[in-house]
Formats: sequence, C-alpha cells, structure tokens
Amino acid sequence: MLKWILKTLWGQKGSVFSSASGVAFAFILVVIMEAAFVGESNQIVSYIRHVNADVWVMQKGVSNMHMATTFVWDWKAKRIAELPGVKKATPILYVNTALKSGGRNWFAYVIGLMPNDARAGPWSMAYGKSHPGQGEIVLPHVLAKMTDAKLGDTAMIADKKFEIAGFSNETFSMANSIAFVNFHDLEELISTSGTVSFILVDIESGLDKQSVAKLIEQQVEKVSAIPHEQFIKNDFQIAMLMGVEVVSFMSIIGSILAALIIAFTAYSQVSRRKRELAIAKALGYQNRSLYLAVLMQTLIITGLALIVAILISIFLLPLLTTLVPQITLVVTTTALIRLCMIAVFVAVLAALVPARIIANIDPLTAFRS
Amino acid sequence: MWRLAIKQLTYEWSRSLLTALAISAAIAMILVLRGFEQGLYAQSENVVLDRGGDLFLTQSGVSNFLAVRSSLPQLTRSEVEAIKGVKTAHPLTGFWAIYGPQGNKFPLLLLVYDTKGGPTHLIEGEPIRSSRDIVIDIGLSKRFNLKPGEPLVVSDFEFTVSGITSGSSALFSTFAYVSYDGMIDLFLESEIAPDISTFPLLSFLLVELDEGMDQASIAQQIEEAVPVVDVFQPGTLANNDKALGKELFGPIMNVLVILSYIIGMLVIGMIIYSDVSLRRRSFAVMKALGFKLSHIAKGILIHSMIIVLLAYPIGVFLAHMTSMGIEFNMPVYLVQVLEPFGLLKVLIGVLAMMIIGSLLPLRLITKTDPVLAFQVE
Repeated sequence: MLKWILKTLWGQKGSVFSSASGVAFAFILVVIMEAAFVGESNQIVSYIRHVNADVWVMQKGVSNMHMATTFVWDWKAKRIAELPGVKKATPILYVNTALKSGGRNWFAYVIGLMPNDARAGPWSMAYGKSHPGQGEIVLPHVLAKMTDAKLGDTAMIADKKFEIAGFSNETFSMANSIAFVNFHDLEELISTSGTVSFILVDIESGLDKQSVAKLIEQQVEKVSAIPHEQFIKNDFQIAMLMGVEVVSFMSIIGSILAALIIAFTAYSQVSRRKRELAIAKALGYQNRSLYLAVLMQTLIITGLALIVAILISIFLLPLLTTLVPQITLVVTTTALIRLCMIAVFVAVLAALVPARIIANIDPLTAFRS
Repeated sequence: MWRLAIKQLTYEWSRSLLTALAISAAIAMILVLRGFEQGLYAQSENVVLDRGGDLFLTQSGVSNFLAVRSSLPQLTRSEVEAIKGVKTAHPLTGFWAIYGPQGNKFPLLLLVYDTKGGPTHLIEGEPIRSSRDIVIDIGLSKRFNLKPGEPLVVSDFEFTVSGITSGSSALFSTFAYVSYDGMIDLFLESEIAPDISTFPLLSFLLVELDEGMDQASIAQQIEEAVPVVDVFQPGTLANNDKALGKELFGPIMNVLVILSYIIGMLVIGMIIYSDVSLRRRSFAVMKALGFKLSHIAKGILIHSMIIVLLAYPIGVFLAHMTSMGIEFNMPVYLVQVLEPFGLLKVLIGVLAMMIIGSLLPLRLITKTDPVLAFQVE
C-alpha cells in the first residue's frame, strides 16, 4: 500500500509540490506572527536584560517597566546605596513617549542618564558618544539606517530639540525603541524635580538578590524591589500577553487553510484513482486500510510542508530582518513543536474529506469497462 | 468556451464546491489580515475622533494623542477660553497603569476627563457619577470578566465599574475612563507618587467653538495667543495617530499580507494545475480537433475566473464571519473586512493571482500529445 501511495503522489508531483508549498506558507504564517511577538517582547526587555542590574527598585505597586509610570523620591537612591550588601544604586528617569527623528515619529523609552555615570547607558555603540551631554540624545542605529539620520541632526521630544550625539546597537524595537538623554533634560521635559523613575541596584558578589530586594522593601518605604530575572519575566509576560490572542487566531486561520489545501489535494488524488481503489476493494482491502492509505498521503504532504516551513523558519526568516530592519523575529523551539502538533491535526482533519468517496466506492466498478 | 467551462464546473459539483471553498478560504485569509491591519489603524483614528470637540490642543511639539506625554500648564485652559469664539475648553489627561493579577497583567490607559471626552459608546451600565466610578472597555470586561458594580483595583485604589463601553481600544491595549476627582483621589489615597505634580494633570484641551465660528481662524488665534499649545483639527490629529500606527505595525503587517497573497497564489495555482492535469484527455481532444494553445489557455482562464468569482463572495462572507467572531471573543481588536476600497484591492489581487495561477499549467498542456485523445484509458 505504501508503494501505491508513493507512486500516486509521484505521479502528481506538480500538484503535490504546489500543495505542500501552499501548506508550508500557511504554516509560516502561523510561525511568523508568534516569532514577531517573541522578537518584539525580547526587544522590549532588551534594556533590562543588558543593563543587568541585580535588583530594580520602583514605586510601590509597580512591577514592570513596559508602559508603566513610576516615580520615587531621589533621596531613596542614596538611602538604598547605604544599605548593607548594596554596591551601587543608579537612578534613572524614564518616560514612554513618541520622538521625532528623520521626519518620522517613533515610540520610545526615553531614559534619562545621570551625568558622568555610564552604568545605565547603552551597552553597545555603533558610533558616536555613548553618554549624552545636555541637549544631546543617543538613538538606535536602526533609525539611522532607515531615515538617513546623522550625528549632529536634530531629534525632537515634544517641543524640545536634541542633537543626535550617538547611535547605539540592539536598542531598536517596533513598539519601544530606546533613546538616551541627559537626566536633567528629561527632568525639564516632564516637569519634575527631586524624583527618579527606577533605581538600578548592584549588590556585593555572593549575596542573594531576593534577600537584598526584601531588605530594600523593609528599609525604604513605599518602594517595590524586584530581582533582575523576575523583572524581565514580568515585562516579557505583559508584552507576550498583548499578542497571545492574535497569535491564537493566526494559528487557527493558518491551520484551517492548511487543512483545506491538503483536503483538496487528497480529494483530487482519491477521485482520480477511484478505479484503482475499486480494484483494491475487489482484492479484499477493507475500507480501514484505504482510509489509512489516504491518511498516509495527507501525512506525507503535511510532512513535506512541515519540513519546508521549518527550514524557511530557521534559515530564511532571520534574513527577513535584514530586508525589514524594523522587525525582529525569533522562532522558538516551542513554536516549532506546536507547529508539528498542528500539522498532525491538520493531516488527520484533511484525511476525513476523501473518506466519504472511499466508503462509497463500489468494487464492481473495477470490472466495468 | 464559456459553456464548456460551466459544464465542467457542474459535472463534478462536489469537487467544484471544495475548489471554491479552498480558494474562498485563501481569499478570506487575505481579507482578515488586511481587515486586521486596517482595524489597527482605524482604532488609532477613532480614539481621537470619539473624543469630540472642534479643536484638539496638545503641548507644543506634540502631534499625537496616543502613547505620548503631553503636559500643559494649568492656566492654559483659562487662556484659551478667553479667546473670542471659544465656547469651552474641556480638560483631558491620561496615564498608563498595569491591571490584573500576576501572570495575567494587561496595560490600561486611564483616560481622565471632566466635561467632555469621556466614553461615547456605552453598552452596559451607567456613566460616571462619582469619583470611585470607572467606565471600562468591553475588551477589558471580557478579558477579566468584569461587570458593572464590580470592583477594579488600580495601585491599591478601588474603583467600581459603573459602565462598559465599546470602541475604546487601540494599539493592543484598552482604555478606561475616570473623572478628574477620581484621578486625584487615586493619586492621594494610593500614594501613587511622592508628588502628584510629576503626572501631567492637564495633557490636552478639547475646544468647543461658538456656533458659526471658523475652525481655522480660531486655531490660528489660539496658537498666537497661547504659544505653549499646538492646535489640531480632530481629523488631523487622528491622521497623525493613524500614521504612527502604520509606522509601528506597517512592516510586520505588510510581511503577513504579502505572505497571504503568496499562499493565495499557490492555492489557486495548485487547484488549476490539478484541474488541468485531470482534464488532460479533454485538452488532447481539443488539440486533436485543431484548437490552438491560446484558445485552450483562454478556456482555462474562463474556468478559473468563474471559480474565483464564485469563491470571492464566499470568501468575503467567511472573512466577515471570522471578523465578527474575533471581535466578539476578543473585542480589543477591530477587523475591518467590509471596507469597499480594501475589497476591491483584494479582488484585483486575487484576479492577478488567478492569471498567474492559470499560466502555471500551460507547460503541461503544451506537452500534452493529441494522440492521447485516441488512446484507451
């Protein structure tokens, strides 16, 4: 039977190839949406991950950075710095807003850095200054690539002009690019004084981050202190939750389409081979064996599509980011495993469609001219 | 040629139905993706347009409403209201909060209004009557199963859901409406910040003009008299937000839409190829009878066009049903399928795909030997 299946499929190479390609692209559609969300979520936590503070301190009740608003008195940074086990406490100001550069508007995390303290600044520079002076701004290098912005050009946040002093790497994201400005410029921009947004705490080596975080919350009133890993997890979860529904419905749409394409191919193959199937029935093959043969066919087509989809996802999708630098795609193993499960489900579903034809085939047709 | 094509379609109706269904599913997928993209932009626009007012005032240099920080001095309102032709300037502000239990947190924009700019599509419950009241979007209501009368806690401050509105979502987030009194109580009681002046208490002004006043001339007067503001007609600000939405989501949505067109082309190509290979014998007969390749190609095109034109309305129907399902179950999203220009664009795209798909199997026909017509099956 397997030989017959392979022969049948080989006899319709064009149709099988086209069908497998269609299904592969439907699968890629499923993968790409999730890859975009994972990629974007990774970018959203890029700042937290790279500055790598042991403990993050913020206003009580706040537990993340993405789309959050937090203000704490600046004296609390000094108080934290004096606590046992704390090596350094670096305050930053932060606002989530739109900035204009190269004639376009971008959403950005704007980070206000303390003068002469590079601790919370960019971790990798393409070129230019890494620490902005007054009236200066450091922007993601991707922006320079997309808008031809150059060092010395102007970027605007609200009505305040900044001179572009440097371009940083790994700081671009569709939803939240990271821009670095001077602390006092940002203070002036958001009309605040004596407050900071987050305090990045570095602790003595060998100490437990959780215990230091607990100590900070006990010793400094009305703050939340969250260890690095938990803080990343919190932000990543929020970003992913915003897209979980979109990913789900894209998976459903992609799966239905894939099932229909395979069902159509299997249906065509079966209706074309009615006479052969009648002979098989006349020779004593039971419907069950023929159903299995059709299922095998749909599994082979789905398997081919799956291989193409996985190869494209692993090798070609990362290249897409070179063509469209705004997009960050990250294909996870979980996504590929889920895709395999969807593929099996799709193959089984598609095999049901031609089953009706098989059931209705009369073995007598084998002997008719 | 038309008669032959129609006969072919009715001869094996179940196969024709499956064919039309497969093509309509591909069309529906393109429409849903396009509708989702258009919905994202429309939501960004509607959020501004639904606020009402004749003019929209922002901090100088700020040209968007969504996800920007705009801060106006407190006296701006009286300065604007002093201008002849201005009836009222309604204050508006907002700030982001994260709502929900650990592991299921969701960003929420608390939109603070006084006399105008509040919810406009209340579908359940009551408007805001006290400082503890909050009106939430249906997206948030469904996500957290919140009903009118139930508590909603933000930063340890307990609001009561007084009503549920629709159409207050944008950029994958939802909005909730509170009064100025509610915001002040929230700031003071929950000690949300050491100094509430760090929050912009006045971000925007919605200006209502006296009857018959010219928007453009009053806008110019306001900009001259109050230099700390930029003045926008609501439509202009809405367009700016739409453009920002395009800047944000355009690249990924374009990739997805292009991908959906490729899938559509492959589906149509596969179906036509499969159909042509099934009918090779008929084409051999036609060749033996002296039909030219161009005639046969025309026949394939007509056949494909009939299927595509049959599949298109089914695709639109399927897409519309899908969009209704998405909007019902996930009201944070808007899927605009039935937009005439979009429908036309997709129809043209599908017809182009059909032409390309029809050309793919021509090689197969060229290779078909007319002798095949005389061979016993």
